[in-house]
Amino acid sequence: MTETIVEMRHITKRFPGIIANDDINLSICKGEIFALLGENGAGKSTLMSMLFGLYEPDQGEFLVRGQQVKIDSPNQAVALDIGMVHQHFQLVSNFTVTENIIMGVETSKRRLGIFPTVDLKNSEKKVAALSEQYGLEVDPRAVIEDLQISERQRVEILKMLYRNAEILIFDEPTAVLTPQEIQFLLQIIRNLRDNGKTVILITHKLDEIKQVADRCAILNRGRLIAVRDVSQTSTQEMARLMVGHDIAFTLDKKPAQFGEEILRVDSLTVENEEKYEAIRQVSFSVHRGEIYALAGVAGNGQVELADAISGLLPVKSGHIYLKQTDITQESVRARNLRGLSYIPEDRQSVGLILDFTLQDNLVLKRYFQPGFRKGQRIKLERWQSYARRLSQVYDIRSANGIQTVVRSMSGGNQQKAIIAREIDQDSDLQIYVQPTRGLDIGAITSIREKLIQERDHGKAILLISLELDEIMACADTIGVLYHGSLQTEARAGELDMETVGAYMMGAQHE
Amino acid sequence: MNTMIIDGLSYALPLLIIACGGIFSERSGVTNLALEGFLGFGAFTGSLFVALTSSWFSNGSTVPMYLAFLFAMLGGGFYALLFALLCIKFRANQVIAGVVINILSVALTGFLTSQINSSVFGEASNKFQLGVSPRWTVPGLSQIPVLGAVFTKFYPFEILIVILVIFINYLLYKTRFGMHLRAAGDNPQAVDTAGISVAKVRFTAVVIAGMLAGLGGMCYAYSISTNFSPSIYFGAGYLAIAAMIFGNWKLMPTLAACLIFGLARSGAYQLVGYLKLSSNYTNLALAIPYVLTLLLLIFFSKTNRAPRALGEIYDKSKR
Ligand SMILES: Nc1ncnc2c1ncn2[C@@H]1O[C@H](COP(=O)(O)OP(=O)(O)O)[C@@H](O)[C@H]1O
Ligand SMILES: [Mg+2]
Repeated sequence: MTETIVEMRHITKRFPGIIANDDINLSICKGEIFALLGENGAGKSTLMSMLFGLYEPDQGEFLVRGQQVKIDSPNQAVALDIGMVHQHFQLVSNFTVTENIIMGVETSKRRLGIFPTVDLKNSEKKVAALSEQYGLEVDPRAVIEDLQISERQRVEILKMLYRNAEILIFDEPTAVLTPQEIQFLLQIIRNLRDNGKTVILITHKLDEIKQVADRCAILNRGRLIAVRDVSQTSTQEMARLMVGHDIAFTLDKKPAQFGEEILRVDSLTVENEEKYEAIRQVSFSVHRGEIYALAGVAGNGQVELADAISGLLPVKSGHIYLKQTDITQESVRARNLRGLSYIPEDRQSVGLILDFTLQDNLVLKRYFQPGFRKGQRIKLERWQSYARRLSQVYDIRSANGIQTVVRSMSGGNQQKAIIAREIDQDSDLQIYVQPTRGLDIGAITSIREKLIQERDHGKAILLISLELDEIMACADTIGVLYHGSLQTEARAGELDMETVGAYMMGAQHE
Repeated sequence: MNTMIIDGLSYALPLLIIACGGIFSERSGVTNLALEGFLGFGAFTGSLFVALTSSWFSNGSTVPMYLAFLFAMLGGGFYALLFALLCIKFRANQVIAGVVINILSVALTGFLTSQINSSVFGEASNKFQLGVSPRWTVPGLSQIPVLGAVFTKFYPFEILIVILVIFINYLLYKTRFGMHLRAAGDNPQAVDTAGISVAKVRFTAVVIAGMLAGLGGMCYAYSISTNFSPSIYFGAGYLAIAAMIFGNWKLMPTLAACLIFGLARSGAYQLVGYLKLSSNYTNLALAIPYVLTLLLLIFFSKTNRAPRALGEIYDKSKR
């Protein structure tokens, strides 16, 4: 084996109520792509945040290039040539690309011999040169808020390179990208390695690891389970190690039993906040016992459609019928009570109140109902027993039970909480938007199974997803949205993946 | 017309420098309602200096005035330290801390002024008498029609403020400190991961805010009343906040807002005089800038964007 660049010895980190990392021993070689695999909440981010100096380990030590080091701030990490792209980007939105990149390491020149002035011109040149060298296309003068997510990510990468980082940590970099962008990023990561950098890639997507990683370490509930050579390990085995048991890659699904019509959308046109018609003249209906899946590339009106049906966005023209009643003008609560559940795409800002406890989030659609209150007073015992029951039935894990603040829970468990709350409404119509985004395989499988189970209980399911394999795995009927219109609609058996993909890119219906 | 411009400028420029204080503080992410308190305490410190040292200087010397400006800045900055401690070190709610700082400033300066007057000078007064500021006119330039008024009978502090504002523009937009300050008001986490202390940046910003507001207060003490008294708290701090918001937390638009307020006020005065209305109406005229503020805010608040992290207490551990 080649030279070791980072070594971890007995690293342990505890958070209140949980051991995030339990006695981890690892060594990472210079010039490799080292993947860190694990379910949500396995402790991947925590481990790497310690290497980057954001947290300090409770026990254990780090060795960088053979030297024992104490990394107690990001500054220290940068001095050791360690860089990190966080799950949430750390960019100043009203600054330019260059200003963001140089912040903290600016060079100044003196104007009129006295006034030190940040030397933007030269920095811009340096940034342009770096972005050329690594194929990280981005305009050094663009302002961050005008950039797409993938471009912002490139800025984060340039930020590390500008500081001469040799060890680059990526925390779930592909979670926010489209499939094309993911391929582009993986190529960048290969470029980085070929330029002699060491890359640590945190992810829970097995195919990405297969594509780029040299070795991979698997974490489960804070413990290091195994370190494997990627080329000699099958995807199945990695999945098994990650989840801790065997999982099925295909879903068990009986043929659908269509019942009466539950949702009918009739010539619906919806404007988004910029007054642009995001949905144009869309009509379709969903029946009991049916999973109606809407496919489409991001930004083709999916979110607006779901928001309009659930009542978050006003309708410009057209009608929405729920069980034959026109609900186009009804309030959100009226629709909920009539039998509509909504699992929104943006689970953190629409689906949950992050600074509330799990308990309070779980009763959000119940607290006003009889049984949950006595006059204007809330019945706290009822809230507690209800929340406890839901978190048990839906296996929601958290550090302090139902009193955990939701912000501190892992993404998978946050999503489970929303799904628990919404399914427990026993609504006839359930709308799921990107229900498995950012989750690990274990959670994905269990959510998809849940969906099918609800269908079999006679619910109507509207599933909106950007992931084609999710559409193909779950749908009974498939519709494709393109530029706000319904491009095609057919029974799931009548369409194959390539055809749906072609419609998603705008191919016409003959 | 000339008087309107002359008075308008002498009112608008101190307002601008106070608003600049607000910009420093708020662009760094600290909500600042305490400008009124800062300016009062600054003016108090400067005036106290003049009162204590009046015997050192010959009658009519302008040296005490310039020193008073310096001491007003020191006093305002010192008082702002208290606000910075509350907001940044002790993580107090910034709105409440601001209000408390204002109330405390009125009480403290009023009390101290009376106390010092009676114990040091042996007289019962709630004022410190100041000298009269000279006013300058540029020969030639002042003869230009309309625009000439800008160069006519202006206070020395107006030049000082113009120079300072140019320097502030440089400081905020061209230096490392300015970059860090603006970044701290948008995304403090990013500043932190870049290895810069958010607390230090904000602390400095708030102290600068106190210095600038203190200077502005001293200017008003010299221009409006030629003494220091509790009437220094006539709301300029709040008006400066309005100008800053109306100016979208940017220097040039804030300058424009201050000019509008200044001209509206002097114009209203002129109108009252021109229509030969009784002095009762002067009070009404005084309210015009405030009413104007309200109207402007209603129309412009939609397009305005506050610094993203404004009022957010920075917590390292929050994910
Ligand atoms: N700042 C924190 N305070 C309390 N608990 C935390 C904190 N950060 C992470 N955790 C907990 O530690 C565990 C591991 O989290 P994390 O490292 O983010 O997992 P991963 O990145 O593998 O999804 C989770 O259970 C999470 O809830
Ligand atoms: Mg993570």
